[in-house]
Amino acid sequence: MSETTEKTMSARDYKSDLKPIWCPGCGNFGFLNALYLTFQELQLQPENTAVVSGIGCSSRLPGYVKTYAFNGVHGRVLPFASGVKMSRPETTVIAVGGDGDGFSIGAGHIGHAARKNINITYVVLDNNIYGLTKGQASPTTPLGVKTKTTYYGNMGMQFNPVRMLIAYKASFVARTFSGDPKHIRKVLVEAIRHNGFSFVEVLSPCVTFRGKDQFKIIRDKVRYLDEQHHADNELEAFDVANDEKELALGVIYKKPRPTYDEIINADVTTKAKAVSHGKPKVNKLMDQFKP
Amino acid sequence: MLNNKNIVIGIAGSGGDGVISAGEILVNAASSEGLFVFMLKSFGAQIRGGESSVRVRMSDLPVQSQGDRIDIMVVLSWSNFNRFKNELLLEEKVIIISDADDPMSDKDVPLSEEQRQYWYKIPFNKLSEEQTGGRQSKNIVMLGAISELFSLPKQALRKSIEKIFRNKPPEVTESNIKAMEAGTAYVQEHVEKTDPLAFEYESREARLVMQGNEAIAMGAIYAGLDFYAGYPITPSTEIMEWISRYLPQRDGISMQMEDELASINAILGASFAGKKAMTATSGPGISLMNEGIGLASMAELPVVIVNVQRGGPSTGLPTKTEQADLMQAIWGSHGDSPRVVIAPCDVEDCFDSTVLAFYISEKYQMPVIILSDQFIGHRKESINPKAIRGGKTGFRKIYHRDIPTDAELQDYHRFRNTENGVSPMSYPGIKGGEYLGSGIEHDEKGNPRSDAGNHARMTEKRWRKMDYIKKEFRFERFYGPRESKLGIIAWGSTKGAVKEAVNKANAMGIPVSALIPQLIYPFLIEPFKEFIQNKNRVIIPELSYAGQFRRYLRGFVRFAQYGVRVIPLRKTGVAPFAVEEILEKIIEEWKDMEARR
Repeated sequence: MSETTEKTMSARDYKSDLKPIWCPGCGNFGFLNALYLTFQELQLQPENTAVVSGIGCSSRLPGYVKTYAFNGVHGRVLPFASGVKMSRPETTVIAVGGDGDGFSIGAGHIGHAARKNINITYVVLDNNIYGLTKGQASPTTPLGVKTKTTYYGNMGMQFNPVRMLIAYKASFVARTFSGDPKHIRKVLVEAIRHNGFSFVEVLSPCVTFRGKDQFKIIRDKVRYLDEQHHADNELEAFDVANDEKELALGVIYKKPRPTYDEIINADVTTKAKAVSHGKPKVNKLMDQFKP
Repeated sequence: MLNNKNIVIGIAGSGGDGVISAGEILVNAASSEGLFVFMLKSFGAQIRGGESSVRVRMSDLPVQSQGDRIDIMVVLSWSNFNRFKNELLLEEKVIIISDADDPMSDKDVPLSEEQRQYWYKIPFNKLSEEQTGGRQSKNIVMLGAISELFSLPKQALRKSIEKIFRNKPPEVTESNIKAMEAGTAYVQEHVEKTDPLAFEYESREARLVMQGNEAIAMGAIYAGLDFYAGYPITPSTEIMEWISRYLPQRDGISMQMEDELASINAILGASFAGKKAMTATSGPGISLMNEGIGLASMAELPVVIVNVQRGGPSTGLPTKTEQADLMQAIWGSHGDSPRVVIAPCDVEDCFDSTVLAFYISEKYQMPVIILSDQFIGHRKESINPKAIRGGKTGFRKIYHRDIPTDAELQDYHRFRNTENGVSPMSYPGIKGGEYLGSGIEHDEKGNPRSDAGNHARMTEKRWRKMDYIKKEFRFERFYGPRESKLGIIAWGSTKGAVKEAVNKANAMGIPVSALIPQLIYPFLIEPFKEFIQNKNRVIIPELSYAGQFRRYLRGFVRFAQYGVRVIPLRKTGVAPFAVEEILEKIIEEWKDMEARR
């Protein structure tokens, strides 16, 4: 395998042989197609790209891309992605999952990946329901909605992921909509290029368990951010996030800061090597156990 | 029984009395003289202050255990000694050293008439105040006093004191040396020695002093660890503390995660990315990791997981030892989830076991669990420097994971069903090696599949690796005459007391031998067949109330078929087995066997 010049990659080159298990009309198709196009636009090399996930409808996505891919256990996509990224910093790592995987079972990890500013992109395909288990309430199911496990209506308030991510000081927070693949692509390109932890919420309707009219409901509810919005202003970003009547699409918050691997390279390794004067042999390390 | 070549010193006091540092100074001094040393610490639950005790065994001859009973008991405060009186069992003819000004009256002191025979009262606090202006050096005064009383290596002690204060201003060292000398002088001038104890030893090459947890950390670094992720939990935390300090010097990465779920999944990510990865945990932490260990089995990711067992269940006894995570280590995750379980049985062994764990894990692409415990993890032992540094003894091989060849990459099947079940593993960066790894059942290519035939085939493939591991490795220890009719089978940290009890019994003319399996799982039947074929009875001591080890063995070994009677010797954790507990059982069984002949 010794090609000297890399061939130009097309969207099709990223498509695996597996056929998605998603229902016809699922919002995830729009996202997947936009993802292939994003990879094409960025000319990502498959061997230097990893798409990883936990469990859920959207977490089946790594099977549909021809890059390094991993479909792990429920809720742990971010730790897994962190392990991959820290081990192979040259790899573009995209963590993907749904609202259940991310905001319910895996919610404890988001703040830490964000605070450490691990240089990965985390995409949540938010359909406000558990789809793979066939229609139970998720953290983003609206209050009062009847599901199979909330027979008399959902008792919990709907979760606002964007607001949470800004509060965690994720260095990049965006929202997009699977009914607008062009917008997804624009946001994704920026998210992947962002140096640091980038979070993208994709409003991605589940037509089977939330109804076929979801696309229309969401389309009527969204607005696009323009240059009037200052993404580097945290208070402005919170204002946008707090507006749950009209959902803003675009990059809502963006404030780069040193990433975890940059801190390790610039700081930790330097300090460690200053103590050890280069890479110490194990025999040398054993000296400290001399009495 | 008094033995001038082998003494056990206990020290107890409040947290501020410097009990632990006095113990460490003693251990360092003895090790620098090449003596065999074993030190156990015990604390109350308080983070700072509270009570603490140490037990230091030093010997001219090799020692295997902490020593059952204390020859010299140093009491810096009687009220604190009382809290340890169940752990610190005293010899009948114990020698007591206490503070002359202790507020507890003599009649309240928990000693029998016999134990009061040799009792020296030395004004530690007063002497410390005279020399240093404060009471903080009373532990050093005490060291000066006992070194004079029992002929301990005084020069080495002085050096160890200098070493412990090397980062302090020189006047601190000076005043502590004065404190030591004051203790010595006090004994010379005011104490009439009545006891017969005088330590005898030969000075040899210095030995290293390590904790089991430190030995695991160093073993991992030796084995080429690239990536560590963990979450602090007693009694495993020191492993991460050492690794976070030294791994970055060796270009590796150590990440503190938000919990154990994150830790195990982060190392799986690193392993997927082609790196040697490890985590360490204890108690509740290992329960949380079991889902991730199953993922490692399924996705065939090499990872090493250290479980430093503590007392359980639930929060249990974080700072105490037990051997009750055995079944969980073997069968812990849901589904048929192959993994390897290795049990180190002393501090030196922790290094070897870790090197072996990485070798097996990288070669066979599966999780390997190192099942240590608090007793090994936290105790300090003197180590033969050649054993670890020279690399001549023990397991020292390093395995570099099989990666696909160019030909294999033309049509790459990550989970190819090979003869031994091991399929070459690519990682990000290898062009043509892209694949889907997953916890969902998959075919050889990695594509999800749920039909019966494929599941049977792939399960069998993953388990076939276990057969090859069994063919490649044997890892156990035998002690005593093999032809003996009486045997002991034990595992992990119980080895120390068993070995010493076997030696003692043999010296008394009682033939008994012991088998300590260390590659616990997969189960190798051969060592057991060899061991039990001529046995009539086998004692199985373990720190598990439920008798997990015995039940596990019974699943594989048909003791009855060999005419072997199994004698359980099980107890709950906290206090490790004492030599005399095992020796008593040996004698009891042997007498009974003799009577029935």
